[in-house]
Amino acid sequence: MRTFAAIAAFEFRTRLKRISTWVYFAIFAALAMFWMAAAGGALKNASVSFGSSKTWIDSPYAIAQMYALLGMMALTVIGAVTGRAIQQDFEYRTEAFFFTAPVRKLDYLGGRFAGAVAVLVVILASIPIGSVLGLLLPGIDGDRVGPVRSLAYLLPFATTLLPNVIVLGAIFFCLGALTRRMLPVYVVSVVLLIGYLTAQGLLRDMENKSIAVLLDPFGSTALSKLTEYWPIAERNGRLVPLAGYLLWNRLLWLAIALVVIGVTTWRFRFVQPSSGSRRVALEAEADVEAEPVVEATPHTPRTTPAAVRGWRLLPRMVWLNFRETVKNVYFAVIALAGVLFCITVSTTSGSIFGTTTWPVTYQMLDIVSGTFAVFMLVIVTFYAGELTWREREARLDQIHDALPIPTWLPFTAKLLALMLVPVVLQAVMMLTGLGIQTAKGYHRYEPGLYLHALFGIELVDYWLVCVLALTVHSIVNQKYLGHFVMIVYFVAVEFGSLLGFEHHLYKYGTNGGFTYSDMNGFGPFLVRVRFFQAYWAAAAILLALLAYLFWQRGTVSGWRARSAIAWRRITPRVVATAACATVAMAALGGYIFYNTNVLNPYLTTYDQQTRRADYEKRYKALESAPQPKITDVSVTVDLFPREQRVRMTGRYVLENRTPKNVDAIHLSFLRGERLVIHKLAFDSPTTLVTDDMKTGLRSYRLASPLPPGQRLALDFDLEVPTHGFMNSGATTDVVANGSFVNGQSVLPLIGYQERGELVTDSDRKKFGLKPKERMRPREDPVGLAQNAIAPDADFVHFEATVGTDADQIAIAPGYLQREWTQGDRRYFTYVMDAPILDFFAVQSARYAVAKDRWHDVAIEVYYQPGHEYNLARMIDATKAGLDYYTANFGPYQYRQFRIIEFPRYATFAQSFPNTVPYSEGIGFIARVRDSDPDDIDYPYYVTAHELAHQWWGHQVPGANVQGETMLVETLAQYSALMVMKRKYGDAKMERFLRYELDRYLIGRSTEQKKELPLALVENQDYIHYRKGSLVMYALADYIGEDNLNRAIRAYRDKWAFKGPPYSTTKDLLAEIRAVTPASLAYVIDDFFDSITLYDNRALSATAKRLADGRYEVTLEVYARKLKADALGKESEAPLADLIDIGVLDANNEPLFLEKRKIEKEKTTFTIVVAKKPARAGIDPYNKLIDRRPRDNTMAVSE
Amino acid sequence: MSLALTISGLSKTYPNGVQALSDVSLTIPTGMFGLLGPNGAGKSTLMRTLATLQDADAGTVMMGDIDVLADKAAVRRILGYLPQDFGVYPKVSAEELLDHLARLKGLADRKARREVVASLLRQTNLHDVRKKALGGFSGGMRQRFGIAQALLGNPRLIIVDEPTAGLDPEERVRFHNLLAEIGENVIVILSTHIVSDVSDLCEQMAIIDKGHVLLTGRPGDLTRRLDGRVWQKAIARADLAATKAVYPVISTRLVAGRTLVNVVGDDAPGEGFVPVAATLEDVYFAAIAGRLAPAHVLEAA
Repeated sequence: MRTFAAIAAFEFRTRLKRISTWVYFAIFAALAMFWMAAAGGALKNASVSFGSSKTWIDSPYAIAQMYALLGMMALTVIGAVTGRAIQQDFEYRTEAFFFTAPVRKLDYLGGRFAGAVAVLVVILASIPIGSVLGLLLPGIDGDRVGPVRSLAYLLPFATTLLPNVIVLGAIFFCLGALTRRMLPVYVVSVVLLIGYLTAQGLLRDMENKSIAVLLDPFGSTALSKLTEYWPIAERNGRLVPLAGYLLWNRLLWLAIALVVIGVTTWRFRFVQPSSGSRRVALEAEADVEAEPVVEATPHTPRTTPAAVRGWRLLPRMVWLNFRETVKNVYFAVIALAGVLFCITVSTTSGSIFGTTTWPVTYQMLDIVSGTFAVFMLVIVTFYAGELTWREREARLDQIHDALPIPTWLPFTAKLLALMLVPVVLQAVMMLTGLGIQTAKGYHRYEPGLYLHALFGIELVDYWLVCVLALTVHSIVNQKYLGHFVMIVYFVAVEFGSLLGFEHHLYKYGTNGGFTYSDMNGFGPFLVRVRFFQAYWAAAAILLALLAYLFWQRGTVSGWRARSAIAWRRITPRVVATAACATVAMAALGGYIFYNTNVLNPYLTTYDQQTRRADYEKRYKALESAPQPKITDVSVTVDLFPREQRVRMTGRYVLENRTPKNVDAIHLSFLRGERLVIHKLAFDSPTTLVTDDMKTGLRSYRLASPLPPGQRLALDFDLEVPTHGFMNSGATTDVVANGSFVNGQSVLPLIGYQERGELVTDSDRKKFGLKPKERMRPREDPVGLAQNAIAPDADFVHFEATVGTDADQIAIAPGYLQREWTQGDRRYFTYVMDAPILDFFAVQSARYAVAKDRWHDVAIEVYYQPGHEYNLARMIDATKAGLDYYTANFGPYQYRQFRIIEFPRYATFAQSFPNTVPYSEGIGFIARVRDSDPDDIDYPYYVTAHELAHQWWGHQVPGANVQGETMLVETLAQYSALMVMKRKYGDAKMERFLRYELDRYLIGRSTEQKKELPLALVENQDYIHYRKGSLVMYALADYIGEDNLNRAIRAYRDKWAFKGPPYSTTKDLLAEIRAVTPASLAYVIDDFFDSITLYDNRALSATAKRLADGRYEVTLEVYARKLKADALGKESEAPLADLIDIGVLDANNEPLFLEKRKIEKEKTTFTIVVAKKPARAGIDPYNKLIDRRPRDNTMAVSE
Repeated sequence: MSLALTISGLSKTYPNGVQALSDVSLTIPTGMFGLLGPNGAGKSTLMRTLATLQDADAGTVMMGDIDVLADKAAVRRILGYLPQDFGVYPKVSAEELLDHLARLKGLADRKARREVVASLLRQTNLHDVRKKALGGFSGGMRQRFGIAQALLGNPRLIIVDEPTAGLDPEERVRFHNLLAEIGENVIVILSTHIVSDVSDLCEQMAIIDKGHVLLTGRPGDLTRRLDGRVWQKAIARADLAATKAVYPVISTRLVAGRTLVNVVGDDAPGEGFVPVAATLEDVYFAAIAGRLAPAHVLEAA
């Protein structure tokens, strides 16, 4: 024990004296401070928010999350410290001292490990220290900081960081000790990272949560899962316990660590290396004397000039370096891990509701180039170090450096060898992608696309990183420090934009990326990518020159000596190359700057927020000014797909529907800065009094005020051109194939637009604006006078002519009246024969069209050829929806229903009058296997939902007040659920609703302001969609579907095509209450007017077989009802509720299912069922919202 | 053609303040040249400087018309270098690595290169193990491999830094034979702290310590300078300190439990001292101990 302590103490002391220990300490302290500063709003340009801005930055939850993430970054440090704990003896050849000392193996290994762990604890103590210091930084927003709790800092240290140190440390320690090398340590860190990424990938499917949680060695996934349903109040108030997922994860990995430590102790031998070679040596020496001394053949090297010889030697040297790099088990392990990663992730790739998509090539590319890219960079960095240090580590450097070869030769050879590494890995990835496609039965191979993306685009990016990595290693000339510099680079590039450093001109190797679409190919992104790549390639040449100048040759050390040598290596050729590269870089950089900052406005996130703040500060006063409403829209939309240009000419008719005179008209523009105004004129004399297109507002004073009831016309001719390329983003609404332009993004909106304001409290505070409510109260007269979809109009007359390329079809709401071709342009005129909301979009692409009919309604799907997979499902859903909705809600107002595909630059479907743009990313390539009971037919669901909006939204819009989206989205959700239920049955719906519950619970935990009851929802996705589904489905169960539909029908009949004033949730709920029996009135209160949660559990379930063959089940259940406030703080509510009590068979089918009144926490039931019961419990199908839905039933024991 | 290597005024101070070379001037003719000095004398610094691996602060080194310090590429073309401490790629065979290095030395022709590699492997007695991985080589074998690579490309300047350190006597003899063979027409600089390496092999030598050249000359001449001036006495170990205090002791060693002290002096230093034949070792110790006239005096002699 004493030796153990001595060894541990020595290891600890010597490491504490090393500068690297304190460098790590300083870095992690800085990172933690920086994190706090960014999250706490101390950095002006930073736009970081970690989850909800209502979660305090020093809440137990936030601290635990920060620890988990920074702890992952500590991976390299843990590897460097514990991996070298034993390995250092072999590297420094000191092993003999210890092996020959009277030290027990356990003391030696244990002592070193304990010492290393202790050092790591010191290093990582920087994280809590840094976070506390971070809170003291000036500029931290006091509202974001909660009360100080020391346990909040200590507990996660013990549950996250310390176990990580022990677990990862044990693994690295074992590798370093047993292999006596560091390479395996690095390789395994890459593999562990892949484990984490795989866990993240698997999470997309809810069913995989437990596996994912266990797979992640860092515990970060487990922590997220443990707390995912924690509402804000709990995140702020509750310590993250070592329980549940986190406990299991920690136990599993600690067990693995124990095994690893055991194996290390067992396998480790106090033996010096090279034991296996003794035999060879002896053999050789035996025949020494017999060997006659032979005269060497005289030989003279050929005296070709060094440079010429260099070029001749290059290929071979490249090959040797490359072979040395890849021809070993480690490279194979990395490549294999990459392949496994891709295969695992591909099982859930693109998955929505646990249902996968066809493995189209772009999806394979997303897997390969998304997360895989991260560790491609790790691999490149790592091998850059290995190659740079290869000779020196083999101690062959002196011999090598004295050889008559030019210095550029080994450098260039290593650089090229390094560049071959990603080539090999990309090829492996391509084959993996093709393999996955084949295995999944997808045979539409696109090798050209693979080659273009993997080798034509991404390889260039990786090559840039290769040059940088080798340069860093050449200049830094210290392997670990070199690796660390590269990590700093990656972090800076990755997170720079969060701090306002968004321009790719100063972020080496970045280019803004691209999104590939089956419809539009690489689209508008490629130009930017290429220019930035060329620019950075020029920079890479400069870097390579620098690397060459500082390339270590000989035993030179010290900066002075190295710089002196670098100076001497500067030859005219070096200068000429540098000059060319500099000129190229300057020219390309200038051209890029011209594109990103001159032709296009360069706006950081902060700049954009500034504009929104300015808009509010300058023009908020105009909000109360009476404004006319649009009554007629007649527009000609000219799309120029290849030029990415759109021009809209036409006329608005405006009518003063207020009781006051309108003396000025204010026009707001969503994209004012990019807009070219060719004409904007009223048919009555006006003067332009404000022209602020930068923030997006123009005001016109009317020479004579517009009295109530009077009309005037606004003629417009507006254009949104595309000039060159932007730094980030691109014009994606008008594209070569697959344009989708929303009218509101070009045309003026009448009056001040509240939606232009900043929303979250923290953003508003940053610009000195008071917090504001997101929506008006339900009684607000201004809100009641507007519909939320197009507040500046009621129902309007609409007609549009859309022009596009001759080979494309263009679509707008309305019915096609005329189609003609003029030169290389094709035109379509659409007219709507009844008033619609002022909400339209135009689309244009080279479509194929699938057609069908439902009674007198024409159904058309406009799609990208090749995306035929789900056309039938969409058409079926349309028919089924029309059946159900017309029978239950009222007639369909159009003679046509069209679904139109658009590129995956956005992934949603949206309902316009008789027209539904539908992203290629959400349904067209879905792969619903009817044979798989788990697959959810989401193309069917999405179609039914969008179709339902033709009623909810387009027939009955909601007033622009709280609860509006319940009227539109929740009703559409309910409608779609009923259509789905008809086709797929209750069991499928149960599965669907489990996803909805999951997303509701996660959604409320990241709420930015406050959670509201459903009836007061303020455009909150997780409430109006997710909770909406759950509530409406349960309501249909409680009061009966027909009953509910009657109420909904009554509401529609009263409000369809009416307004202003528009309806609110009060109107809908009044109808629902009218059909609800008094005994269930509480359900409406609970579901709509408050946030209600249940904590239902099965406590025990036993069965006994009766004489007649039936079974008597005794079931004890637990139930609590809770009401939550806006931040999720729960309080007990009295329980007198009807809740399902169920006994299920092995197939989850009910043997018994009845609502029983539950009034106590614990209730016992005795139920007799006919068949053998498998599970029993309370609310077995999770109709009620419960934060722990899984414990509602339990297996029945006999 | 015989060329001499002329070193003049070479100085080097490391960033940590250690002065490794101080105004070193030497002329090294064709043949074996021994550079003798204790550990840390500056031998390796000098060797590495000559081998183009690091720069000096001041001074010049010329070999014929080659400016060794400036025209490194030219030096490397005629250089064979065996560093004091070197490693090998453990998994590569002797033949493979030698072939690779030969190619880098400019032996482009495949067939000729093969012959050269084979003959060098034979010459260094590694032919039988040429296919074996270098990682399994014994110290002697590795050292012989080192000399084999240093001989690649018919170098005219061969620098071997402490080559016999750690070799067993048999290996050392074998190694000496190897060196003796090659040292006839080229300059071979052998740095060592083992006196017999020099006395056995070298025609010319220099002794350096603390960065200064103390002595240069032929080993025989240098030894003759001390003829009749070395005295020896056997004393008890306990008396050593006292003896050292009184007499100019240059070296002590143990023989069968008794301590023999060597003392330099023109006359018998005192009672019990007997004259002994001077050896190169005495010269070395006397020089290190500062009991010999400075270098230039002897050179003149």
